[in-house]
Amino acid sequence: MYERRLDRSRAHTTFSMPLDNQTTPLLGRTKLSVVEPVFQMNGIVKHFPGVHALKGVDLEVFKGEVHVLFGENGAGKSTLINIIAGTFPPDEGKIVFDGEAQSSMTAHRARELGVSAVFQEFSLAPDLTIEENLLLGREATRFGLLRKAKMREQVRAMLAELDFDLSPNTRVGVLTRAEQQMTEIAKALLGKVKLLILDEPTSSLTERETEKLFAIIAQLKHHGVGIIYVSHRLGEIKRIGDRLTVLRDGAKIGTVAVAKVDEEQLVEMMTGRAAEVLFPRIEHRPQEEVLRVRDLSTASGAVRGVDLYLRAGEVVGLAGLVGCGKSELARALFGLEVLEGGRISLFGRDLQTPPTPASMLASGVCYFPSDRVAEGLALVRPLRENVSMAALKLSNFSWHGLLRLAAERIISQEKIQQLQVRPADAERPVELLSGGNRQKVMLSRGIIRDVKVFLFDEPTVGIDVGAKVEIYRILAKLQQQGAAILVASSELPELLHLSSRVYVMNRGKISAELQGDDIREDVILSNFFDREGTTFPRRANAH
Amino acid sequence: MNALLHTLDSISRNGMRHSVAQLGINYGFLPVILVLTYLAFGVLEPRFLTANNALNILKQSSYLIIFAAAQLFPLLTRGYDLSVGMVISMISVASAMIMMAVLHATNDVPLAIVAAACGGFGIGVLVGVINGACVAALGINPFIVTLGMQGVAFGLATTLSGGFPVYNLPDAYSKIFAYSNWLGLPASVATCLIILGIVHIILSRTVFGRSLYLIGASPRAVHVAGLPSHRYNALAYVACACLTSIGALLLTARTASGEPNAGGDFMLKSIAAAVIGGVSLRGGEGRVIHCVFGGLFITVLSIGMNFVRVDGYIQQIILGIVVIAAVYFDQFRRRTRL
Repeated sequence: MYERRLDRSRAHTTFSMPLDNQTTPLLGRTKLSVVEPVFQMNGIVKHFPGVHALKGVDLEVFKGEVHVLFGENGAGKSTLINIIAGTFPPDEGKIVFDGEAQSSMTAHRARELGVSAVFQEFSLAPDLTIEENLLLGREATRFGLLRKAKMREQVRAMLAELDFDLSPNTRVGVLTRAEQQMTEIAKALLGKVKLLILDEPTSSLTERETEKLFAIIAQLKHHGVGIIYVSHRLGEIKRIGDRLTVLRDGAKIGTVAVAKVDEEQLVEMMTGRAAEVLFPRIEHRPQEEVLRVRDLSTASGAVRGVDLYLRAGEVVGLAGLVGCGKSELARALFGLEVLEGGRISLFGRDLQTPPTPASMLASGVCYFPSDRVAEGLALVRPLRENVSMAALKLSNFSWHGLLRLAAERIISQEKIQQLQVRPADAERPVELLSGGNRQKVMLSRGIIRDVKVFLFDEPTVGIDVGAKVEIYRILAKLQQQGAAILVASSELPELLHLSSRVYVMNRGKISAELQGDDIREDVILSNFFDREGTTFPRRANAH
Repeated sequence: MNALLHTLDSISRNGMRHSVAQLGINYGFLPVILVLTYLAFGVLEPRFLTANNALNILKQSSYLIIFAAAQLFPLLTRGYDLSVGMVISMISVASAMIMMAVLHATNDVPLAIVAAACGGFGIGVLVGVINGACVAALGINPFIVTLGMQGVAFGLATTLSGGFPVYNLPDAYSKIFAYSNWLGLPASVATCLIILGIVHIILSRTVFGRSLYLIGASPRAVHVAGLPSHRYNALAYVACACLTSIGALLLTARTASGEPNAGGDFMLKSIAAAVIGGVSLRGGEGRVIHCVFGGLFITVLSIGMNFVRVDGYIQQIILGIVVIAAVYFDQFRRRTRL
């Protein structure tokens, strides 16, 4: 293991990752010879009305360690970091900070102790400038007056040190999400920081910004800051994580050294099921080509010159970082993005007009959005209406604009049962369903009318394991029946186990097309980033 | 109707206590409050309970219910039509002027009435198309669009009439459309029932009606589902204006004059009736029956207050409070259902 680490740090000098003292005697950073925990918590229990959110969780973070919190949505990660940040107190349990037991943690106390957190929900005031936001609550004053010059100087120095490309006078409201994320990180780093909490910090960052963040993390580690890092991304976990604690259903499953576990083990720890149980075996039997895209570009610039094809009876993955254009590509194919150039052919015929949802549905293409609340479902309306929504104009549902209510009732009930939506009450509003059941209601659209091409955008986002298994089963079944399925996903395990081919996207372009044995996490990840100048360790080559 | 069957079904299954709750969920508690209010005014002033007054309540509420049913279309899509009141005034004045002009030119009463009705309805369609196009195609906020249209309609109504009512409409017009009985019902009540039936069928049995509910619940989802959401959204404003113009023509017949003030407070009252009845301001929820209960309630309240001689301005205050309370209860109802 030492060899590998050494090799990594030698080969990638641009990324000067200071490794934690305990495992790197070879690098001569033996300043801290004994591992000191900066933070410990024991037996943390937290109840919310109706939810047992944390069931006695222990966590320990060393100085200069990146400690990854890993688990599914709803596993208790957010609750845990909120307790650490003092947002709310635990019901039971002990918190020790820097060797001192903390009787009561409040947000204020946490800040005093040097706990700084970057949550997914930003805490920035959109109408204030970056500078004002950064200094909110710690304005430099003299005799009650703001010392603007001094403040500005402080902020500029800070941003320069971070090498963030932000102008302090910009209003936060006009920043992109990535820029807001950087501002949020800058804010967290102001003042004394001993423990930094980062909740999915890279989810909206580009690869360049991610690199900067990783460099900052490396620096902080060097200075002995403990970092709690919440992430789902196995690639970055492997890259920057030292130890990893897995949570499932509010309980701690275990803490392991990141270097010692592989992805399969992680998925198993996270979900409580072996990958073979989680993912159905799919026999890919690609048949005729159904969809071909040539040189497709969107007006937004999110997709730039993409070529791709899709055959009946195969599941094709679309991988890439957030913002790489993979969801925009899926949306563009369904007419939800304005196209700038390129050609789309369906079943061997070029589309003469730009696609629209109506025209694509009519030709047997259905899109399943990642944001099911905003784009998929009419939440206050009953299941029945949501199931039939995309088929209302078909002759079995309406006749010259008049609904066939009886037929609708029978058919939608049948689909609800077929997909095992629970509860199977067609008249219940969809908002009362869980994430997994909502996705099943969405999926019913694919079987209520003749759909041959399925375009999925993050099919399992916000869905618990049990429902994921069901969704994967449904996908597999559709594929067996000859459907062509395109899955844009940020969950690599999903793509690795379901796809017969994977396209990787980077900055709006296809950076790789992988098949068969090439569909491996390391190969996919290595194509997430630009090839030249990349600092990403290609594990496939390193071994 | 389905909801009623559902209620009856649940009475037989779950006993009375549960079914009261079910009734509350389906119709709100307004029907109960409506009856209690009616009886309360009766206690204060026994003449309130006469058959004659009941008929009067029905007649008066029929106009409001028509306007509330009109308002229902944009409300379902999470919009509203603030121009309803002034459009009533404009159509009242314009149709009266058309009627007088045709009468002067041809001296043919039936032709004048038909021309006035067509003209009034045509103006309604035009207003609806403009409102709808601005909201759906140009994406302007319905509040601004219809508020602007209200100003335009008000200006036209006063300019065209010079601010004075257009008098001397042919008696036949009022006789047929205000004072005759159709199938034993006053003309306005009969028209109202026909309109309610048609609106109910449109909303519950057509792709267009269904889409309005879905648009109100999630406009983007409707687009993704391949339905012409923009067109349907625009059509909601057209439907609203069409029904408004029918109501306006009936009102004109009742006053036997083209009134620049005919619209008066119908903008607030039409929205109030729908919302008090149980139509959600957040779109996607509401039925014709809600407009009926809401319209009846507001009419009972104002006629009752007249009976017990509540000052006109105080009545405005009470109406305002009732509307705000209704919206609060709408939110409350939604929360408790979750």
